[in-house]
Amino acid sequence: MDNAIIKLDEGTTCTAWNYSGHRLAAGSTDGTLSIFCSTDPASSVFNCSSKFKVRESSIVKVVWAPPEYGDVVACICADGSLLLWEEVVEDSELLQWKLCKCFDRISSQVLDVQFGVSQTSLKLVAAYSDGQVKVFELLDPFDLKNWQLQAEFQNVIESVSKFGNVSCRSASIAWNPLKGEIQQSSFVLGFDSDTPHLNSSKVWEFDQDHQRWLPVAELALPADKADPVSTVAWAPNIGRPYELIAVATCKEIALWHVGSNPDSDGRLSVEKVAMLSTHDSEVWQMEWDMSGMTLATTGSDGVVHLWQCNLYGVWHEQAILEPTS
Amino acid sequence: MPGLTSESDVLAMVPVSPESEKQPLVNYPLRHGLKSAIHRLSFSWACGNTLRVSVFRKPPSEKADGDGEAGGTVVEVKLSNSGDEEVDAARWRRMAYTSVTPFALLQSRKHSLSAASRMSLDIPPYKAEWWEHVIEYSKEISSLLTDRKPPPKSIIEDPKSVVNAIAAPMCLKAAWELLEIFYVDKQSQSWIPERLLDWLADYNSLFSGTLPTIHSKLVDFQQELVGVQVVEEDPNYWDAMSSALAVGWLETVVKLLRLHGSYRFDQLSSRETENGLVEAVAVLISKMPRMRPSLREDNLGECYQTKPDFMKAWEKWRTQISKLDCSSYWLQCDHRQTREGLKNLIQILLGNPTVLSNATFNWMELFISHFLYIRPFTAGLESMHNSAQKCMQVKPVSISHKLFGLILGILGENTEVVLAECSRSFGPWMMVHAVELLTAGSTHAEILLHEEHSKLGGVSIEELHRLIYAQVLSSHALTWQIAPIYLTSCIKQGIGLLENLLYKQPVQHSQILLKSIEICRLYELDTINSNIMRIAGVHHWKHGRKGSGVFWLQQARDEFRLNRIAKQLFDFVGKSVSDEGFKQWEGLIELLGSESRTAGGLEFLNKYRDFRRSLLQVHGATPTDAARNAAEALVSLMKNPSTPQRFWLPLLYDSLKLLMWQERPLVNVSQTQFLLNKLQELSMARLRPDFVEADLPSDALSSVRLALATNLGRAILEE
Repeated sequence: MDNAIIKLDEGTTCTAWNYSGHRLAAGSTDGTLSIFCSTDPASSVFNCSSKFKVRESSIVKVVWAPPEYGDVVACICADGSLLLWEEVVEDSELLQWKLCKCFDRISSQVLDVQFGVSQTSLKLVAAYSDGQVKVFELLDPFDLKNWQLQAEFQNVIESVSKFGNVSCRSASIAWNPLKGEIQQSSFVLGFDSDTPHLNSSKVWEFDQDHQRWLPVAELALPADKADPVSTVAWAPNIGRPYELIAVATCKEIALWHVGSNPDSDGRLSVEKVAMLSTHDSEVWQMEWDMSGMTLATTGSDGVVHLWQCNLYGVWHEQAILEPTS
Repeated sequence: MPGLTSESDVLAMVPVSPESEKQPLVNYPLRHGLKSAIHRLSFSWACGNTLRVSVFRKPPSEKADGDGEAGGTVVEVKLSNSGDEEVDAARWRRMAYTSVTPFALLQSRKHSLSAASRMSLDIPPYKAEWWEHVIEYSKEISSLLTDRKPPPKSIIEDPKSVVNAIAAPMCLKAAWELLEIFYVDKQSQSWIPERLLDWLADYNSLFSGTLPTIHSKLVDFQQELVGVQVVEEDPNYWDAMSSALAVGWLETVVKLLRLHGSYRFDQLSSRETENGLVEAVAVLISKMPRMRPSLREDNLGECYQTKPDFMKAWEKWRTQISKLDCSSYWLQCDHRQTREGLKNLIQILLGNPTVLSNATFNWMELFISHFLYIRPFTAGLESMHNSAQKCMQVKPVSISHKLFGLILGILGENTEVVLAECSRSFGPWMMVHAVELLTAGSTHAEILLHEEHSKLGGVSIEELHRLIYAQVLSSHALTWQIAPIYLTSCIKQGIGLLENLLYKQPVQHSQILLKSIEICRLYELDTINSNIMRIAGVHHWKHGRKGSGVFWLQQARDEFRLNRIAKQLFDFVGKSVSDEGFKQWEGLIELLGSESRTAGGLEFLNKYRDFRRSLLQVHGATPTDAARNAAEALVSLMKNPSTPQRFWLPLLYDSLKLLMWQERPLVNVSQTQFLLNKLQELSMARLRPDFVEADLPSDALSSVRLALATNLGRAILEE
């Protein structure tokens, strides 16, 4: 049942699969990005198709853009910069990877970045080490050089004052994975920072009428609001009447149901439905399967955990995948 | 999605009963093959329930040279497979494919019957029809579970062959038949014990791996038989017969009895009585009354269809056995082993519990022997369950076989247990297909399986299993195409999962693209259909296949992107006529067509293409007619309101040679005046701050103005 499919180069620090799971981008400490592809959709044989240097700095994270925009990856580098690379044929040259946009580090470094699709544009949310959140918008789907800053805000739900001198260790963003015309763009964001107000995960939704981003839900109980968030994951919704979001903090993994109808204040109802114990290990990554029924997590304990819910709504750990040589 | 079970290392499903929470956590090894210490893991879900885990090793210290080992590895883990280790991947895929048609047919029949009977299948005429459909479905699925044909029978039958070397049966088929016996085949309800007996005869060998069985005992004895001269002196001969008799394998017993030495011609005179007794037992065995409509080929016994007839025959038969037991002929039988062996067989026929217990090896065999000889009139699941419990007390099991759990669940009328056993032991394929049998055969099961669970987002257990199975199918490139059949039978969440599945297909491969589109069209998934075609269009466009790109974007009706492409094409306007790219450009305009509703620029591009074409044909020596056509095209283009202002000057500048045509003026007075007005308008527009200057020589405007003035003069003279 387990099968080694790709050998990664020495110094590889991060990997990311594209939407269909047929291409893998692997970033390494020397700033090289390797792309592995399978030529036949039915095969599990992957070969390195391209290798190029994105920056003279270690790659920390790689994220693929949605396929509606081509083969595009965003690389976050250790020097705090964010680069977009695209595989494209230009002016009758051969197919190659080209740098299409570099968001240089100005005052703070990029901690996390995620793409979100709306019907007409591609959006990019970036969370920075100074606690700022920036939403960029791509206006022309064929021109990945031109991004417009659509909004810039801090991850706070009530306070109107801005927090200065913020220092963040990490941030995690997850878009609502549902793609539909009716659905508003929304994402959830949490920080691990020295400013308690910024930490707790908040759901942000784009208000089309006023063209602005609004916080519509906070996923933390009053006592836990200051807990640093290590990672968040928004489950695909294939027909549930509510959304399901996993939030990992230093204490636990919490699962939240988020209602779909806002109250008079514009807030969505939230309910914490499960607390999954991480046994004192830090959670680094969480991802839902395509049905949104199984949550996989991994972290400092070096194993992958699989969590599921039974018919009685009780969440429990079903299996662990433990590396052995 | 599935959960692991400790027994089979197979991801089964979301647990049904609350007790399953206590299931032990499954520790699953992830063999990465790296020698160095592991630094970190990261993972990603692929289609279905395949998980890909990247294992990163600790980065080597800076001073040390590279040790040559890879920096990590990516391991693909299929979290669910067939659900049964006895089925290999290829066979499982074949099974998955062949079961689609019966399943789909049953669903469509269910729909049409529900529609005809206005939602209830319980109304008598529809119920009967529905039963027939379910039976047909069950038989079809059952038949596809045996794909290995039995070996051809040899012409000369081996007299010493006791156990037929038939194809290895599968637990899956055994389980399916159990469900069929108890839930579907209503006609056999009155003779369930006999059906169980047949079932055990077919599948007894399945237990041989984990338990001592009569089958394994007979196999051992058959090997021994080849070398034995005088069988009746071998205690194993008598043991084998009593065991086979205990579970009703009458033909085997009679066949073995006829191997008895007293049948040999040289023995007849001295062992007449002995032979008579052997034959008497053989005759009684072969005349055993059976409560069933018919016998299977080669089977012995006499069939009775109604209970009174059967009871009468049974009493008579038992009397004959008792009579034989008390017969004085036994005293004349000198062969001790024969006398004792035959007496033992008679005790079995008379239902002696101790002898039956000694002749059987596990509770299931004892259970069957009780039906045959102790409680031949057993009916109803409750009494069968009690009987099974008693047999289990006599022969407790140290290692429980997965089929035992299923049988006990069925006899105990505990649907939850049946579901849990099916799911744990036989996997998602079994669950999805067997649910049809359970819902048809038990009201309790139907309620349980169709009840919507709010904790699971409103799906029923039936739907949940279909979703799980569809995910298993989605995990493989060769089976994902059949997942839609199961997903579209789910009312609540099937379409959502199908959309996710389609979205994850690598549509840059044309076959997958076409298959995905076909599925989208079949189920009217327009949004995802457009999305798939949009992804393909963008992929082709960006990979230099501009024509395919435009084609798929048109199919996706993506006006937004097509407009952007049209805008890119504007960049050609006013470029040098001899441009190499003109052909490609012309082709794209052709492809884009002028039908686009919102792509307003396309009308201009089409007209511009016509003008450009005619201009290309105009050289110094061209006849005036061709040049006149080009001039007409220019005027028409300039008159068209869709022509952007920024292109006016480039158009006129391109047409200088037309405006200064040597032979005669090509543009008449009113046309020239119109063009001069346009030029005037342009001069005014240049004063506006947002005006974009065309990339033309600085004297372009004055040369055009001069050419127009000259042309006006010449035209006036001409008129």
